[in-house]
Amino acid sequence: MNSSTPVVEIRELSKHYGEFVALDRLSLTLNRGSILGFIGPNGAGKTTTIRILVGLSRPTSGSATIAGADCVRDLAKVRRLVGYMPDKFGSYDNMRVREYLDFFGAAFGISRKERQLRIAEVLELTNAVWMQDRYVESLSHGMQQRVGIARTLLHRPEVLILDEPANGLDPEARIEMRSILLRLAEEGRTLIVTSHILPELSRICDQVAIVAGGKLRAMGTLQEVTRELSQRRTIEIQFLSDAGLAEAAGRVRSHLESDAEVTVSDAETIIRCRTGANDEKLGELLRFLITSGDRVSQFREVAGDLEEAFITAAREAEAERSAQGPAKTKAGVA
Amino acid sequence: MHGIGVILGRELLALLRSPRILAILFAVSVCSAIVVFLKWPTSAIVDLDGARGREVFRWLTYAMVAAAILAVPVFPSTLLVREVRRRTLELLLNSPLSRSSIYFGKVLAMLGFVMLLLCSTMPAMACAYLMGGVSFSGDILRMYLFLIVVCTELIVIGLLVGTWCRNTESALRWSYGITFLLTVVPWFPDALFPGGDSPLAKGMALLKLISPIPGILQLLNQGSVAGTGLIELHDPVVSYLTFAAIFITVGSIVCILRLSHSLLDRARSQGYMTDDQDGWIQASRRILYLVDPQKRSKGIPPLINPVMVKEFQCRQFGRMHWLLRLVAFCAVLSLLLTLASARGTESRGVEFTGALIIVLQVSLIVLLTPGLAAGMIAGEIEGGSWNLLRATPLGPGRILLGKLISVVITLALLLCATLPGYAVIMLIKPILQPQVAQVLICLVVSAVLSMLISAAISSLFRSTAIATTVAYGVLIALFGGTMLVWINRDAPFGHSVVENTLRLNPMAAALNAMQASGFEKYNLVPSAWWISGAVSLVLLVLLFVQTLRLTRPD
Repeated sequence: MNSSTPVVEIRELSKHYGEFVALDRLSLTLNRGSILGFIGPNGAGKTTTIRILVGLSRPTSGSATIAGADCVRDLAKVRRLVGYMPDKFGSYDNMRVREYLDFFGAAFGISRKERQLRIAEVLELTNAVWMQDRYVESLSHGMQQRVGIARTLLHRPEVLILDEPANGLDPEARIEMRSILLRLAEEGRTLIVTSHILPELSRICDQVAIVAGGKLRAMGTLQEVTRELSQRRTIEIQFLSDAGLAEAAGRVRSHLESDAEVTVSDAETIIRCRTGANDEKLGELLRFLITSGDRVSQFREVAGDLEEAFITAAREAEAERSAQGPAKTKAGVA
Repeated sequence: MHGIGVILGRELLALLRSPRILAILFAVSVCSAIVVFLKWPTSAIVDLDGARGREVFRWLTYAMVAAAILAVPVFPSTLLVREVRRRTLELLLNSPLSRSSIYFGKVLAMLGFVMLLLCSTMPAMACAYLMGGVSFSGDILRMYLFLIVVCTELIVIGLLVGTWCRNTESALRWSYGITFLLTVVPWFPDALFPGGDSPLAKGMALLKLISPIPGILQLLNQGSVAGTGLIELHDPVVSYLTFAAIFITVGSIVCILRLSHSLLDRARSQGYMTDDQDGWIQASRRILYLVDPQKRSKGIPPLINPVMVKEFQCRQFGRMHWLLRLVAFCAVLSLLLTLASARGTESRGVEFTGALIIVLQVSLIVLLTPGLAAGMIAGEIEGGSWNLLRATPLGPGRILLGKLISVVITLALLLCATLPGYAVIMLIKPILQPQVAQVLICLVVSAVLSMLISAAISSLFRSTAIATTVAYGVLIALFGGTMLVWINRDAPFGHSVVENTLRLNPMAAALNAMQASGFEKYNLVPSAWWISGAVSLVLLVLLFVQTLRLTRPD
């Protein structure tokens, strides 16, 4: 299977809890070896999607396949293809880390000899060898997250689904977690990672999917998503010197819409604008500045911010919900 | 005082808001009403000596004691464990409240619940008073005050246990275990090694005084039932109150001292692994240990159910070295029971000793089984590991089988402990051989039924504490509640009603097979086996269906 082959395919996936629509015809495709950042506000439908993918929940309609195995019909196959780490660790009392991993290895039917090798391998990969004799319940949250990833890797799954792996981790542990995930992707595994720590996701994911109100709002590379969702873009205009910078700022301001934000950085000799103008309008602005005699050295668009895209998606969903009437929850009408 | 008031208000409000409290109070009111109803005079002749009133008072007291032993340990034992898990204890300890005000606030709140519990029996007690023969200050008030002391002791036990245990399940198990140890167990040594002036016999008789039951019987003017010989030299009420006062004081001091930040950060040392030690240490440990707990496991062997191994590993005393200790303990227990059988048969007859061993065994089964089986599914759901199990290729049948086998093995070890006692009975009276065989079948049936009841309850709840409490309640109702019908066998229940009710109780069938006093005239074997077997089968099906449902996608 090469990297352009889709490993995860979700088509028109819907999940209803009574009147509450947790997922609304969500479709996405993910290729082998990619890391998908699956983000959205609380109650957006992320965990519901994940639970359907790992066979813990049944969709109301639509389908989901992992490496060709249907997540409803080929459950046994899917369980061997997927490594799932839920947001809750699922600890057992009085068990040492090695025993914990040994149990899950045995549950996946791995032979005893092979199991010992794989346990050593996954502990090595997750930098957790030193904690193999520790009791699972006495581990810190960060350590448990590492053991959780080691557990998901035991049966060598093609797809790893990690629900909030960086949640509650300190910066050092987060950096370590990031390097583990990147290493796994290098090995050719496909990763679906949910997180609320967006800067973290933007560093590791080559694909981002934003889901809100049960609907997929945007999917693609980070730039594609931010461009799709951000209503405003940030433009940086660099000048050769700071002479006449204030006047140039006035000209920029007069050429853009009234609510555009224009700021001047004398030290950098840069004028920054946050504007909703399209490419044509920005081209006109550049032409205007040059014809006005301004010595522009660079005119560039700054890559969009994932946080802003996230907020836009959440607001869209909120607006849709308000238009539909009183909000409903899984438990009933709120 | 202000701090105590703050905690008291918060805890009492939380307790009163709980629907479980309402259910318990309702159940106790209904039970006490049933006692009055059953003992209400049926003839029109006025009972001038007040015997009927005293009988109602006696039965109401028994009901109150049973309710206190069953309901009171639940809340204090889980209270601190929950506070630690939810980190609310951290907030309390970081507040200006002193540790003693936190502790006493909680004790007083629990006592508030006890007051409500006792108040719910007051209408029934008023009926007993109106029937005559019972004085208010001499009987009723003294009994209520005595029960308040008993409940305070149970509250202190629960809170103390809560400072040691890490989860609600083990807190409940230990609370019930210690309650059982302090109330019921002190009776057995004296019953098994009766009379005599030997220091052992005297010690056994004194041991009985730490239980509140002799004191209660004394207050009911049933002192002769409570004790013989030495016990009559000591006033059981005074003896118990002295013991309870010491226990409550020492227990409270220990509990207040333990109520600190160390409860929130209980790191568990991994110890030194034998595999990492020098060669000579490894060699010496190989000689000294049958099973070295610090040696790295070689992994789950092939063809063994991994869930079963996991269940043993997760249990507090489930590891091989603990199981060996359990076997050793059982061997010692069986030797003691053998000795008791030999001595008891001389003075009280084979049947009495046999009956005592049966009651002891069933009590052990009732005490231990909910702890082993009631958390098997509820615990996994509560801890979040159920979803991990569901995400593995293990089927519901294999998961269930692994869990059940782990309970069966532990219960089998316990039951085996008392077999030598029966061997002595058969040696003394070989004619009893077929009866003993029947008793053993009844005990196996009791164990299987208890396990399946607890396991089925476990599959119906998402909280281990609730599942364990409900399992204890159902088992006590089955093994103890049906005996209440037997106690009322002359009036109001007729022979057939008692016989049919006892058929539900495999312990009664065992007592019937042993021809224990009061059980000879019933014919419970083998019908009790069939009934228990059928119930077990239904429970097994229910358990499997529930497991299947819980493992399937939602």
